[in-house]
Amino acid sequence: MTIMLLVLMLGLSIFMLVSRDLLFGIIALSAVSLLSALLFYLQQAPDVAITEAAVGAGVSTVVFIGIIRYTERKDRDP
Amino acid sequence: MKQKAINVLTIISLASVTLVLLPLFLENSPWPLSARNYLELHGVGDSGAINLVSAIYLGFRVFDTLGETIVLLTAVSGTIGVLTRAGAVLAEGYDTSGTPALTEQEKKVIMDDHTFTLAGEKRRSHALRTHLLEVVTGVLGPVVLLFGFYLMLYGHLSPGGGFQGGVVTASGIIFLALGNRIGAKNPLIRASVLDRIEAAAFLLLILASLSGILMGRGFFGNPLQDVTAIPAGYIILLNGIIGLKVGAGIGFLCIAMVGREIS
Repeated sequence: MTIMLLVLMLGLSIFMLVSRDLLFGIIALSAVSLLSALLFYLQQAPDVAITEAAVGAGVSTVVFIGIIRYTERKDRDP
Repeated sequence: MKQKAINVLTIISLASVTLVLLPLFLENSPWPLSARNYLELHGVGDSGAINLVSAIYLGFRVFDTLGETIVLLTAVSGTIGVLTRAGAVLAEGYDTSGTPALTEQEKKVIMDDHTFTLAGEKRRSHALRTHLLEVVTGVLGPVVLLFGFYLMLYGHLSPGGGFQGGVVTASGIIFLALGNRIGAKNPLIRASVLDRIEAAAFLLLILASLSGILMGRGFFGNPLQDVTAIPAGYIILLNGIIGLKVGAGIGFLCIAMVGREIS
């Protein structure tokens, strides 16, 4: 279970880094946070899991999505 | 071409991080046990908190917690300082020709409130937002707030505590701001109110940390140590204050950053 979660998180992180659309990257980052919250819970650290779920998947996603409203698309789809 | 170079750099940095961290995971030396054994034997008796995590960060290592709250206070002050200047800079050079011109009434509304707190019809930047989101977040917001306060006040018994309860409360504040009904004036989602709550909570934290001095215990000494009826009373108090501070601070950061209108 732990290995599976870690592999999923690694895959999502790489997708986040190479994705061309900022919104997809942010959603992938949020999913990584959610998976790591699950991982913390499975490792018997529920306090950290609550923080990670609320900050990583909730608040920071809201801030990032709010911030990309200020950006513009420089390149068209290939 | 540039994207390819970035990809190669990403792979190289990931590989080097793996190379550095892998020996740490593979090593087999035993963990130091003395601190763990002490906490296992004396932690609950010394602090009165069943949840040893909150006993550590509000009892044994409370200076770390003070440092963290100062970091949050600095972040909020910096946000205020940067955003009051950045609003004018962001507005320049941004193409607003596609959006319809504002009437005087709308301009007045935007000047009065942050857009985040406006009713759906008056927001220019959220044209795609449906009523579904507003109804769901408006109903969920108070429930999330309640859960945040539960986490704060029961942090000494169950998983949770000031920081956890605070960030959940901040999520509740964001929900309330997203689900604001038409014409509703909720003071909890105004940036100025949240700012004041945060500052007041920091003042309370300093007063609570000094209160032990009156009992002859020193900075962050527990003034309620001799009261055996509520052994964890001081931890509950600190959890509540820190929860208020973190909730108001992070809620303020989100509302100040996200709710800003480019006009």
